[in-house]
Amino acid sequence: MSLSALSTKMKVLLVFAGWIAFAIALGLIFGSDGKNEDFQPQNEFKLEPWLGIKIAGIDLSINRAVFYLVLASALTIFVMVWISKRMAEKPNRTQTAIELAYDLTKNNITGGNLDGKIATRWFPFLATLFFFIWFSNMIGYIPLPTNTPESINILGAEIPAFALYAATANISIPLALTLVVWISYHVEGIRAHGVFRYFASWLPSGLEDMNPIGKVAIFMIEVVSHSVRLISLSVRLFANMLAGHLLLLFMGGGLAVLLGIAALGALTFPMAFAFYVFEVGLVATLQAFIFATLTAIYIGGAVAESH
Amino acid sequence: MTLIGDIVTLVPVGAAQNEGGSFLVSPSLGLMIWTLATFLFTMYVLKKLAFPRIQEALDKRAKLIADSIDAAQQSKKESEELLAEYRARLKEAREQADDIVARARKSADTAKAEATKEGVAKREELLAAARRDIEAETRRSLERIRKEVADLTVLTTEKVVRRSLDSDDQKRLVDEALSEVDFSALAGSEANKN
Repeated sequence: MSLSALSTKMKVLLVFAGWIAFAIALGLIFGSDGKNEDFQPQNEFKLEPWLGIKIAGIDLSINRAVFYLVLASALTIFVMVWISKRMAEKPNRTQTAIELAYDLTKNNITGGNLDGKIATRWFPFLATLFFFIWFSNMIGYIPLPTNTPESINILGAEIPAFALYAATANISIPLALTLVVWISYHVEGIRAHGVFRYFASWLPSGLEDMNPIGKVAIFMIEVVSHSVRLISLSVRLFANMLAGHLLLLFMGGGLAVLLGIAALGALTFPMAFAFYVFEVGLVATLQAFIFATLTAIYIGGAVAESH
Repeated sequence: MTLIGDIVTLVPVGAAQNEGGSFLVSPSLGLMIWTLATFLFTMYVLKKLAFPRIQEALDKRAKLIADSIDAAQQSKKESEELLAEYRARLKEAREQADDIVARARKSADTAKAEATKEGVAKREELLAAARRDIEAETRRSLERIRKEVADLTVLTTEKVVRRSLDSDDQKRLVDEALSEVDFSALAGSEANKN
Protein backbone atom coordinates (compact mmCIF):
# COMPACT_ATOMS: atom_id res chain seq x y z
CA MET A 1 0.00 0.00 0.00
CA SER A 2 1.60 3.21 -1.13
CA LEU A 3 1.61 6.33 1.01
CA SER A 4 -0.27 8.42 -1.54
CA ALA A 5 -3.20 5.98 -1.41
CA LEU A 6 -3.87 6.96 2.20
CA SER A 7 -6.40 9.64 2.99
CA THR A 8 -5.25 12.89 4.56
CA LYS A 9 -6.89 11.89 7.82
CA MET A 10 -4.92 8.63 7.92
CA LYS A 11 -1.66 10.44 7.18
CA VAL A 12 -2.24 12.90 10.01
CA LEU A 13 -3.08 10.05 12.37
CA LEU A 14 0.04 8.15 11.34
CA VAL A 15 2.30 11.16 11.89
CA PHE A 16 0.64 11.76 15.26
CA ALA A 17 1.04 8.12 16.31
CA GLY A 18 4.68 8.17 15.17
CA TRP A 19 5.31 11.29 17.20
CA ILE A 20 3.82 9.73 20.37
CA ALA A 21 5.73 6.48 19.79
CA PHE A 22 8.97 8.43 19.35
CA ALA A 23 8.39 10.24 22.65
CA ILE A 24 7.57 6.99 24.47
CA ALA A 25 10.68 5.34 23.03
CA LEU A 26 12.82 8.26 24.20
CA GLY A 27 11.14 8.00 27.61
CA LEU A 28 12.00 4.30 27.84
CA ILE A 29 15.61 4.89 26.77
CA PHE A 30 16.43 7.89 28.96
CA GLY A 31 14.00 7.35 31.81
CA SER A 32 13.36 9.96 34.46
CA ASP A 33 15.95 11.97 36.34
CA GLY A 34 13.48 12.77 39.06
CA LYS A 35 11.87 16.13 39.77
CA ASN A 36 14.20 19.07 39.24
CA GLU A 37 14.07 21.29 42.31
CA ASP A 38 16.66 23.79 41.11
CA PHE A 39 14.77 25.02 38.08
CA GLN A 40 12.34 27.79 38.99
CA PRO A 41 10.39 28.73 35.84
CA GLN A 42 9.07 31.94 37.39
CA ASN A 43 12.64 33.17 37.69
CA GLU A 44 12.63 33.59 33.93
CA PHE A 45 10.53 36.67 34.69
CA LYS A 46 12.60 37.87 37.61
CA LEU A 47 14.20 41.25 37.27
CA GLU A 48 17.88 41.53 38.14
CA PRO A 49 19.01 45.15 38.47
CA TRP A 50 21.56 45.86 35.74
CA LEU A 51 22.32 49.30 37.02
CA GLY A 52 21.20 50.20 40.53
CA ILE A 53 19.61 53.63 40.79
CA LYS A 54 17.86 54.83 43.90
CA ILE A 55 16.28 58.29 44.02
CA ALA A 56 14.40 59.50 47.09
CA GLY A 57 14.00 55.98 48.37
CA ILE A 58 12.47 54.77 45.11
CA ASP A 59 14.25 51.92 43.34
CA LEU A 60 14.67 53.18 39.78
CA SER A 61 17.20 50.50 38.84
CA ILE A 62 17.57 49.74 35.18
CA ASN A 63 16.68 46.12 34.60
CA ARG A 64 15.33 43.91 31.86
CA ALA A 65 11.81 45.38 32.04
CA VAL A 66 13.15 48.93 31.74
CA PHE A 67 15.24 47.80 28.75
CA TYR A 68 12.11 46.36 27.11
CA LEU A 69 10.14 49.52 27.87
CA VAL A 70 12.79 51.72 26.31
CA LEU A 71 13.06 49.33 23.37
CA ALA A 72 9.28 49.37 22.87
CA SER A 73 9.21 53.17 23.10
CA ALA A 74 12.12 53.56 20.69
CA LEU A 75 10.65 51.08 18.23
CA THR A 76 7.18 52.68 18.40
CA ILE A 77 8.63 56.14 17.86
CA PHE A 78 11.03 55.00 15.14
CA VAL A 79 8.47 53.05 13.11
CA MET A 80 5.69 55.61 13.42
CA VAL A 81 7.85 58.66 12.73
CA TRP A 82 9.71 56.90 9.94
CA ILE A 83 6.47 55.85 8.26
CA SER A 84 4.87 59.24 8.80
CA LYS A 85 7.86 60.99 7.19
CA ARG A 86 7.68 58.94 4.05
CA MET A 87 3.94 58.65 3.59
CA ALA A 88 3.58 57.94 -0.11
CA GLU A 89 0.43 58.28 -2.13
CA LYS A 90 0.93 54.76 -3.34
CA PRO A 91 1.77 52.92 -0.11
CA ASN A 92 4.05 49.91 0.17
CA ARG A 93 3.20 46.99 2.43
CA THR A 94 4.67 48.41 5.64
CA GLN A 95 2.89 51.70 5.13
CA THR A 96 -0.35 49.89 4.35
CA ALA A 97 -0.03 47.88 7.57
CA ILE A 98 0.65 50.99 9.67
CA GLU A 99 -2.17 52.85 7.93
CA LEU A 100 -4.46 49.96 8.72
CA ALA A 101 -3.41 50.06 12.38
CA TYR A 102 -3.77 53.84 12.44
CA ASP A 103 -7.22 53.54 10.91
CA LEU A 104 -8.09 50.94 13.56
CA THR A 105 -7.11 53.31 16.38
CA LYS A 106 -8.75 56.30 14.70
CA ASN A 107 -12.04 54.94 13.49
CA ASN A 108 -12.61 51.78 15.48
CA ILE A 109 -11.10 52.33 18.93
CA THR A 110 -11.56 56.10 19.16
CA GLY A 111 -14.33 56.77 16.65
CA GLY A 112 -16.38 53.79 17.72
CA ASN A 113 -16.60 54.88 21.36
CA LEU A 114 -16.07 58.64 21.46
CA ASP A 115 -17.25 61.43 19.26
CA GLY A 116 -16.50 65.00 18.34
CA LYS A 117 -14.15 67.01 20.52
CA ILE A 118 -13.65 64.20 23.04
CA ALA A 119 -12.48 61.89 20.25
CA THR A 120 -10.02 64.48 18.94
CA ARG A 121 -8.68 65.12 22.46
CA TRP A 122 -8.17 61.47 23.38
CA PHE A 123 -7.11 60.01 20.05
CA PRO A 124 -3.33 60.51 20.59
CA PHE A 125 -3.59 58.86 24.01
CA LEU A 126 -5.62 55.88 22.77
CA ALA A 127 -3.50 55.42 19.65
CA THR A 128 -0.28 55.60 21.68
CA LEU A 129 -1.69 53.07 24.14
CA PHE A 130 -2.44 50.69 21.29
CA PHE A 131 0.87 51.09 19.49
CA PHE A 132 3.00 51.13 22.67
CA ILE A 133 1.37 47.98 24.05
CA TRP A 134 1.40 46.32 20.64
CA PHE A 135 5.11 46.94 20.10
CA SER A 136 5.81 45.88 23.70
CA ASN A 137 3.91 42.63 23.14
CA MET A 138 5.51 41.95 19.77
CA ILE A 139 9.12 42.44 20.83
CA GLY A 140 8.28 40.04 23.66
CA TYR A 141 8.32 37.23 21.08
CA ILE A 142 11.76 38.01 19.72
CA PRO A 143 14.55 36.17 21.57
CA LEU A 144 16.96 38.80 22.88
CA PRO A 145 20.15 38.32 24.90
CA THR A 146 18.70 39.66 28.13
CA ASN A 147 18.81 36.69 30.52
CA THR A 148 21.69 38.08 32.58
CA PRO A 149 21.91 35.33 35.26
CA GLU A 150 22.78 32.83 32.53
CA SER A 151 25.39 33.39 29.85
CA ILE A 152 26.38 31.76 26.59
CA ASN A 153 29.67 31.82 24.79
CA ILE A 154 29.57 33.19 21.27
CA LEU A 155 32.98 33.37 19.54
CA GLY A 156 34.69 33.77 22.87
CA ALA A 157 32.42 36.54 24.12
CA GLU A 158 30.26 35.83 27.13
CA ILE A 159 26.85 37.30 26.44
CA PRO A 160 23.60 36.88 28.35
CA ALA A 161 21.48 33.96 27.24
CA PHE A 162 18.76 34.64 24.69
CA ALA A 163 15.33 34.76 26.24
CA LEU A 164 11.77 35.74 25.55
CA TYR A 165 10.51 38.44 27.84
CA ALA A 166 7.79 41.03 27.59
CA ALA A 167 7.45 44.26 29.51
CA THR A 168 3.69 43.70 29.52
CA ALA A 169 4.22 40.33 31.25
CA ASN A 170 5.21 42.28 34.35
CA ILE A 171 2.34 43.63 36.48
CA SER A 172 3.97 47.02 37.09
CA ILE A 173 3.79 48.09 33.48
CA PRO A 174 0.11 47.32 32.72
CA LEU A 175 -0.75 48.66 36.17
CA ALA A 176 1.02 51.97 35.52
CA LEU A 177 -0.81 52.33 32.21
CA THR A 178 -4.09 51.36 33.87
CA LEU A 179 -3.57 54.03 36.52
CA VAL A 180 -3.12 56.64 33.80
CA VAL A 181 -6.30 55.41 32.12
CA TRP A 182 -8.21 55.28 35.42
CA ILE A 183 -7.27 58.78 36.45
CA SER A 184 -7.80 60.10 32.92
CA TYR A 185 -11.34 58.93 32.55
CA HIS A 186 -12.37 60.26 35.97
CA VAL A 187 -10.78 63.61 35.15
CA GLU A 188 -12.58 63.67 31.79
CA GLY A 189 -15.87 62.76 33.50
CA ILE A 190 -15.45 65.55 36.06
CA ARG A 191 -14.50 67.98 33.30
CA ALA A 192 -17.63 67.04 31.33
CA HIS A 193 -20.13 67.02 34.21
CA GLY A 194 -18.58 68.77 37.24
CA VAL A 195 -17.59 66.89 40.40
CA PHE A 196 -21.03 66.30 41.92
CA ARG A 197 -22.89 65.55 38.71
CA TYR A 198 -20.14 63.18 37.59
CA PHE A 199 -20.40 61.05 40.72
CA ALA A 200 -24.20 61.28 40.51
CA SER A 201 -23.97 59.96 36.97
CA TRP A 202 -22.48 56.73 38.34
CA LEU A 203 -25.97 55.81 39.51
CA PRO A 204 -27.85 53.99 36.78
CA SER A 205 -30.91 55.77 35.42
CA GLY A 206 -34.33 54.72 36.70
CA LEU A 207 -33.38 55.03 40.39
CA GLU A 208 -34.88 58.51 40.90
CA ASP A 209 -37.62 57.19 43.19
CA MET A 210 -35.34 55.00 45.30
CA ASN A 211 -34.76 55.86 48.95
CA PRO A 212 -31.37 57.39 49.85
CA ILE A 213 -30.06 54.27 51.60
CA GLY A 214 -30.67 52.22 48.48
CA LYS A 215 -29.01 54.88 46.39
CA VAL A 216 -25.95 54.86 48.64
CA ALA A 217 -25.79 51.06 48.42
CA ILE A 218 -25.94 51.16 44.62
CA PHE A 219 -23.36 53.93 44.63
CA MET A 220 -21.03 51.78 46.72
CA ILE A 221 -21.44 48.94 44.20
CA GLU A 222 -20.46 51.39 41.47
CA VAL A 223 -17.44 52.50 43.50
CA VAL A 224 -16.34 48.88 43.77
CA SER A 225 -17.00 48.37 40.08
CA HIS A 226 -14.82 51.36 39.17
CA SER A 227 -12.06 50.19 41.54
CA VAL A 228 -12.11 46.70 40.08
CA ARG A 229 -11.42 48.19 36.66
CA LEU A 230 -7.92 48.98 37.97
CA ILE A 231 -7.33 45.27 38.50
CA SER A 232 -9.27 43.91 35.52
CA LEU A 233 -7.69 46.17 32.93
CA SER A 234 -4.13 45.65 34.12
CA VAL A 235 -4.37 41.97 35.03
CA ARG A 236 -6.06 41.06 31.73
CA LEU A 237 -3.04 42.28 29.79
CA PHE A 238 -0.45 41.10 32.26
CA ALA A 239 -1.94 37.62 32.75
CA ASN A 240 -2.44 37.04 29.04
CA MET A 241 1.14 37.93 28.24
CA LEU A 242 2.58 36.05 31.22
CA ALA A 243 0.49 32.96 30.47
CA GLY A 244 1.58 33.05 26.84
CA HIS A 245 5.24 33.29 27.77
CA LEU A 246 4.91 30.55 30.41
CA LEU A 247 3.25 28.29 27.84
CA LEU A 248 6.08 28.90 25.40
CA LEU A 249 8.60 28.29 28.17
CA PHE A 250 7.02 25.01 29.27
CA MET A 251 6.36 23.72 25.77
CA GLY A 252 9.79 24.78 24.59
CA GLY A 253 11.42 22.46 27.14
CA GLY A 254 10.67 23.95 30.53
CA LEU A 255 8.26 21.18 31.43
CA ALA A 256 10.77 18.46 30.53
CA VAL A 257 13.44 20.14 32.66
CA LEU A 258 11.07 20.73 35.57
CA LEU A 259 9.83 17.14 35.71
CA GLY A 260 13.22 15.67 34.78
CA ILE A 261 11.68 13.63 31.95
CA ALA A 262 13.71 14.54 28.88
CA ALA A 263 11.43 12.57 26.55
CA LEU A 264 8.58 14.91 27.41
CA GLY A 265 10.43 17.60 25.44
CA ALA A 266 9.91 15.67 22.22
CA LEU A 267 6.20 15.68 22.93
CA THR A 268 5.87 19.35 23.88
CA PHE A 269 8.37 21.00 21.53
CA PRO A 270 6.18 20.98 18.36
CA MET A 271 3.38 22.50 20.43
CA ALA A 272 5.63 25.44 21.26
CA PHE A 273 5.49 26.43 17.58
CA ALA A 274 1.71 26.28 17.54
CA PHE A 275 1.49 28.42 20.68
CA TYR A 276 4.08 30.84 19.30
CA VAL A 277 2.01 31.41 16.15
CA PHE A 278 -1.11 31.79 18.29
CA GLU A 279 0.55 34.33 20.59
CA VAL A 280 2.17 36.42 17.86
CA GLY A 281 -0.71 36.15 15.42
CA LEU A 282 -3.57 36.79 17.79
CA VAL A 283 -2.93 37.46 21.48
CA ALA A 284 -0.34 40.23 21.11
CA THR A 285 -2.56 42.34 18.84
CA LEU A 286 -5.82 41.40 20.52
CA GLN A 287 -4.64 42.41 24.00
CA ALA A 288 -3.34 45.77 22.75
CA PHE A 289 -6.66 46.32 20.99
CA ILE A 290 -8.70 45.33 24.05
CA PHE A 291 -6.70 47.59 26.37
CA ALA A 292 -7.12 50.63 24.11
CA THR A 293 -10.77 49.87 23.34
CA LEU A 294 -11.70 49.45 27.02
CA THR A 295 -9.97 52.75 27.75
CA ALA A 296 -12.07 54.41 25.06
CA ILE A 297 -15.21 52.80 26.49
CA TYR A 298 -14.35 54.03 30.02
CA ILE A 299 -13.80 57.58 28.78
CA GLY A 300 -16.99 57.39 26.72
CA GLY A 301 -18.91 56.15 29.75
CA ALA A 302 -17.51 58.93 31.93
CA VAL A 303 -18.62 61.72 29.58
CA ALA A 304 -21.98 60.11 28.79
CA GLU A 305 -25.04 61.58 30.49
CA SER A 306 -25.81 58.48 32.49
CA HIS A 307 -24.82 54.84 32.55
CA MET B 1 -6.17 51.69 45.15
CA THR B 2 -6.37 50.00 48.54
CA LEU B 3 -6.23 46.60 46.88
CA ILE B 4 -3.02 47.49 45.12
CA GLY B 5 -1.65 48.91 48.32
CA ASP B 6 -2.39 45.63 50.09
CA ILE B 7 -0.53 43.68 47.45
CA VAL B 8 2.42 46.02 47.69
CA THR B 9 2.63 45.77 51.47
CA LEU B 10 2.03 42.03 51.50
CA VAL B 11 4.78 41.32 49.03
CA PRO B 12 7.49 43.95 49.23
CA VAL B 13 9.65 44.36 46.18
CA GLY B 14 12.61 42.03 46.23
CA ALA B 15 11.28 40.14 49.23
CA ALA B 16 10.29 37.15 47.12
CA GLN B 17 13.29 34.95 46.70
CA ASN B 18 13.45 31.64 44.94
CA GLU B 19 10.54 30.34 46.99
CA GLY B 20 7.50 30.92 44.79
CA GLY B 21 6.49 33.43 42.19
CA SER B 22 4.69 36.04 44.27
CA PHE B 23 7.12 38.66 42.93
CA LEU B 24 5.27 38.26 39.61
CA VAL B 25 2.24 40.07 41.01
CA SER B 26 4.00 42.59 43.20
CA PRO B 27 4.19 45.94 41.46
CA SER B 28 7.39 47.91 41.67
CA LEU B 29 7.01 51.64 42.00
CA GLY B 30 10.28 52.29 40.19
CA LEU B 31 9.18 50.27 37.18
CA MET B 32 5.83 52.04 37.17
CA ILE B 33 7.63 55.38 37.05
CA TRP B 34 9.77 54.09 34.20
CA THR B 35 6.60 52.97 32.42
CA LEU B 36 4.98 56.37 32.84
CA ALA B 37 8.10 58.14 31.62
CA THR B 38 8.55 56.02 28.50
CA PHE B 39 4.82 55.98 27.71
CA LEU B 40 4.37 59.72 28.09
CA PHE B 41 7.51 60.40 26.07
CA THR B 42 6.29 58.08 23.33
CA MET B 43 2.89 59.74 23.33
CA TYR B 44 4.44 63.21 23.18
CA VAL B 45 6.66 62.31 20.20
CA LEU B 46 3.91 60.49 18.31
CA LYS B 47 1.46 63.33 18.92
CA LYS B 48 3.97 65.90 17.72
CA LEU B 49 5.63 64.07 14.85
CA ALA B 50 3.80 60.98 13.70
CA PHE B 51 0.02 61.26 13.99
CA PRO B 52 -0.47 64.68 12.35
CA ARG B 53 1.65 63.67 9.37
CA ILE B 54 -0.13 60.36 8.92
CA GLN B 55 -3.51 62.06 9.23
CA GLU B 56 -2.49 64.73 6.75
CA ALA B 57 -1.29 62.15 4.25
CA LEU B 58 -4.46 60.09 4.66
CA ASP B 59 -6.66 63.17 4.27
CA LYS B 60 -4.68 64.17 1.20
CA ARG B 61 -5.13 60.75 -0.31
CA ALA B 62 -8.83 60.68 0.55
CA LYS B 63 -9.20 64.04 -1.18
CA LEU B 64 -7.18 62.81 -4.16
CA ILE B 65 -9.39 59.76 -4.47
CA ALA B 66 -12.54 61.85 -4.17
CA ASP B 67 -11.21 64.28 -6.79
CA SER B 68 -10.23 61.43 -9.08
CA ILE B 69 -13.68 59.90 -8.78
CA ASP B 70 -15.28 63.28 -9.51
CA ALA B 71 -13.00 63.82 -12.48
CA ALA B 72 -13.69 60.33 -13.78
CA GLN B 73 -17.42 60.86 -13.42
CA GLN B 74 -17.13 64.21 -15.13
CA SER B 75 -15.20 62.78 -18.07
CA LYS B 76 -17.58 59.85 -18.27
CA LYS B 77 -20.49 62.28 -18.43
CA GLU B 78 -18.71 64.33 -21.05
CA SER B 79 -17.86 61.35 -23.17
CA GLU B 80 -21.42 60.11 -22.92
CA GLU B 81 -22.65 63.48 -24.07
CA LEU B 82 -20.13 63.44 -26.87
CA LEU B 83 -21.23 59.98 -27.87
CA ALA B 84 -24.88 60.99 -27.84
CA GLU B 85 -24.05 64.03 -29.95
CA TYR B 86 -22.01 61.94 -32.36
CA ARG B 87 -24.85 59.43 -32.63
CA ALA B 88 -27.32 62.21 -33.30
CA ARG B 89 -25.03 63.65 -35.94
CA LEU B 90 -24.54 60.27 -37.53
CA LYS B 91 -28.30 59.75 -37.62
CA GLU B 92 -28.75 63.18 -39.15
CA ALA B 93 -26.05 62.51 -41.74
CA ARG B 94 -27.62 59.19 -42.61
CA GLU B 95 -31.00 60.83 -42.99
CA GLN B 96 -29.47 63.51 -45.17
CA ALA B 97 -27.75 60.92 -47.32
CA ASP B 98 -30.98 59.00 -47.71
CA ASP B 99 -32.72 62.23 -48.59
CA ILE B 100 -30.08 63.09 -51.19
CA VAL B 101 -30.26 59.66 -52.77
CA ALA B 102 -34.05 59.83 -52.87
CA ARG B 103 -33.95 63.27 -54.37
CA ALA B 104 -31.34 62.23 -56.95
CA ARG B 105 -33.43 59.24 -57.87
CA LYS B 106 -36.49 61.43 -58.20
CA SER B 107 -34.74 64.02 -60.34
CA ALA B 108 -33.26 61.28 -62.52
CA ASP B 109 -36.73 59.90 -63.05
CA THR B 110 -38.03 63.36 -63.87
CA ALA B 111 -35.19 63.98 -66.30
CA LYS B 112 -35.85 60.67 -67.99
CA ALA B 113 -39.56 61.38 -68.31
CA GLU B 114 -38.86 64.84 -69.65
CA ALA B 115 -36.35 63.55 -72.14
CA THR B 116 -38.81 60.95 -73.35
CA LYS B 117 -41.52 63.55 -73.67
CA GLU B 118 -39.20 65.88 -75.51
CA GLY B 119 -38.11 63.15 -77.87
CA VAL B 120 -41.69 62.25 -78.61
CA ALA B 121 -42.51 65.90 -79.24
CA LYS B 122 -39.50 66.31 -81.54
CA ARG B 123 -40.47 63.26 -83.48
CA GLU B 124 -44.00 64.55 -83.89
CA GLU B 125 -42.63 67.88 -84.95
CA LEU B 126 -40.33 66.34 -87.54
CA LEU B 127 -43.09 64.14 -88.80
CA ALA B 128 -45.40 67.12 -89.15
CA ALA B 129 -42.72 69.10 -90.96
CA ALA B 130 -42.11 66.23 -93.35
CA ARG B 131 -45.80 65.89 -93.96
CA ARG B 132 -46.03 69.61 -94.66
CA ASP B 133 -43.13 69.48 -97.09
CA ILE B 134 -44.72 66.59 -98.87
CA GLU B 135 -48.01 68.40 -99.13
CA ALA B 136 -46.37 71.56 -100.43
CA GLU B 137 -44.34 69.60 -102.94
CA THR B 138 -47.47 67.81 -104.08
CA ARG B 139 -49.30 71.05 -104.45
CA ARG B 140 -46.46 72.56 -106.45
CA SER B 141 -46.31 69.55 -108.73
CA LEU B 142 -50.01 69.68 -109.32
CA GLU B 143 -49.74 73.36 -110.17
CA ARG B 144 -46.98 72.62 -112.58
CA ILE B 145 -48.95 69.78 -114.14
CA ARG B 146 -51.95 71.96 -114.33
CA LYS B 147 -49.94 74.66 -116.10
CA GLU B 148 -48.43 72.10 -118.44
CA VAL B 149 -51.85 70.71 -119.22
CA ALA B 150 -53.16 74.22 -119.89
CA ASP B 151 -50.28 75.06 -122.19
CA LEU B 152 -50.69 71.78 -124.02
CA THR B 153 -54.37 72.37 -124.24
CA VAL B 154 -53.83 75.81 -125.69
CA LEU B 155 -51.32 74.48 -128.15
CA THR B 156 -53.56 71.65 -129.19
CA THR B 157 -56.57 73.95 -129.47
CA GLU B 158 -54.55 76.37 -131.68
CA LYS B 159 -53.56 73.57 -133.86
CA VAL B 160 -57.14 72.38 -134.06
CA VAL B 161 -58.80 75.76 -134.70
CA ARG B 162 -55.78 77.13 -136.55
CA ARG B 163 -55.99 80.39 -134.96
CA SER B 164 -54.59 81.81 -131.92
CA LEU B 165 -56.82 82.73 -129.24
CA ASP B 166 -56.46 86.06 -127.55
CA SER B 167 -55.46 85.81 -124.11
CA ASP B 168 -58.90 86.49 -122.62
CA ASP B 169 -60.51 83.80 -124.66
CA GLN B 170 -57.67 81.51 -124.01
CA LYS B 171 -57.93 81.94 -120.36
CA ARG B 172 -61.61 81.47 -120.21
CA LEU B 173 -61.45 78.41 -122.34
CA VAL B 174 -58.69 76.82 -120.37
CA ASP B 175 -60.37 77.44 -117.11
CA GLU B 176 -63.59 75.98 -118.44
CA ALA B 177 -61.71 72.95 -119.65
CA LEU B 178 -59.72 72.47 -116.57
CA SER B 179 -62.66 72.75 -114.27
CA GLU B 180 -64.06 69.80 -116.09
CA VAL B 181 -60.90 67.70 -115.71
CA ASP B 182 -60.54 65.69 -112.49
CA PHE B 183 -57.01 65.89 -111.24
CA SER B 184 -57.60 64.07 -108.04
CA ALA B 185 -56.62 60.74 -109.53
CA LEU B 186 -53.45 62.29 -110.86
CA ALA B 187 -52.62 63.76 -107.53
CA GLY B 188 -53.06 60.35 -105.97
CA SER B 189 -50.81 58.62 -108.55
CA GLU B 190 -48.27 61.43 -108.25
CA ALA B 191 -48.09 61.01 -104.46
CA ASN B 192 -47.69 57.26 -104.80
CA LYS B 193 -44.87 57.69 -107.24
CA ASN B 194 -43.00 59.93 -104.92
